[in-house]
Amino acid sequence: MGKIIAVHSYKGGTGKTLLSVNLATTFVRHGKKVCLMDIDFRAPSLYTILKMGKVECWLNDYLNGTCEIDKALVDLSDRIQGNGKLFVGFANPATEAIREMSAKDRKWEMRALGRLLALRNSLLNNKSFDYLIFDTSPGLQYSSINAIVAADLVLVATTLDRSDVDGTKRMLHELYDLFEKKTEIVLNKVLNDFSSKATKEEKQTKFEDMYQVPVVGIVPCFCDILKAEGGIIFANERQTHPFARILDEIATKIDNNI
Amino acid sequence: MSKQEVLGKKPLQILEKIRENLERLNEKIEVMIELQKHGRKDIQPIPEAPLDVMTLLSMPDHLRKTAMTVCKLGRATAEEIAQQTHRARAVESAYLNQLVIMGYLKKERKGRKAYFYVDREIQEG
Repeated sequence: MGKIIAVHSYKGGTGKTLLSVNLATTFVRHGKKVCLMDIDFRAPSLYTILKMGKVECWLNDYLNGTCEIDKALVDLSDRIQGNGKLFVGFANPATEAIREMSAKDRKWEMRALGRLLALRNSLLNNKSFDYLIFDTSPGLQYSSINAIVAADLVLVATTLDRSDVDGTKRMLHELYDLFEKKTEIVLNKVLNDFSSKATKEEKQTKFEDMYQVPVVGIVPCFCDILKAEGGIIFANERQTHPFARILDEIATKIDNNI
Repeated sequence: MSKQEVLGKKPLQILEKIRENLERLNEKIEVMIELQKHGRKDIQPIPEAPLDVMTLLSMPDHLRKTAMTVCKLGRATAEEIAQQTHRARAVESAYLNQLVIMGYLKKERKGRKAYFYVDREIQEG
């Protein structure tokens, strides 16, 4: 049966969406059937990044119980070079929709959790998806924690910014551990220290000692990514770029361990 | 059905009723034991308590594990929950009944089995 991955972080701007989109694309290139969902209802990104036009039904509608999940997914497989399939569910980026989602009460959030949990049956069991990837909002937001509870694996995108390191460590113990979630880390925007002679493996061990969970990827700070301004999916359009190769390694590790 | 057969079934029905009552009594005793173990303050009923993720986060570890498993399975017996949590059925039964008393779970009897579930839809509106 397929698996659910929640991509989460303590702080914003750590590269969750970049990681989610490129990981989903990498899995598709590896022949997997993938569903990518924008669960960041406060700052939706996938709609813009994937240059979408009219969307018939949003994930907001699915969580509100006003549309079926089939209608909220758009088939974008023809955009990706690979034998797999990519379906995407979008969060509504309209200001009114963001305002509405921010004002939901606890009972609504409880029902939303029920609908996220139901995806395991409707998508993984019935539609044979290999991976369902939730791109979440940072920190302790209701929608993110709902996604974490529904997930099999939490992939934490983090940087070496001190407040991010501290916050991520706290979340490891006070959030993911409490829900007994399998957690792995992707370190992003890591500056190349040319004076250090540490090997890739030594760096990984150092970071794993620091967080006490597996580190599945160390992504250097790439100017190419900044220059692309979110307009390029490297795992699809620049498959020989070092970032795309790191994504290949991360996808393979996840596939072998999950 | 002959009169003899009807009379023959009667003691069985009575025994079944006694067994059902004993099971219910056992569940109540398990809850009382848990109440004593963890103190009553943890197990106060909360009117219309939604089992949302923030509530799950603030729960004691032993109850969170049970509640999370019910969320995952949707609807389950104490036996099914115990298989997932690798704890004893009687322990899970006690925790499940605590969660029912607290208002987070609903319980429904079907024949000899008691099913526990999160009542998400009844609170719609």
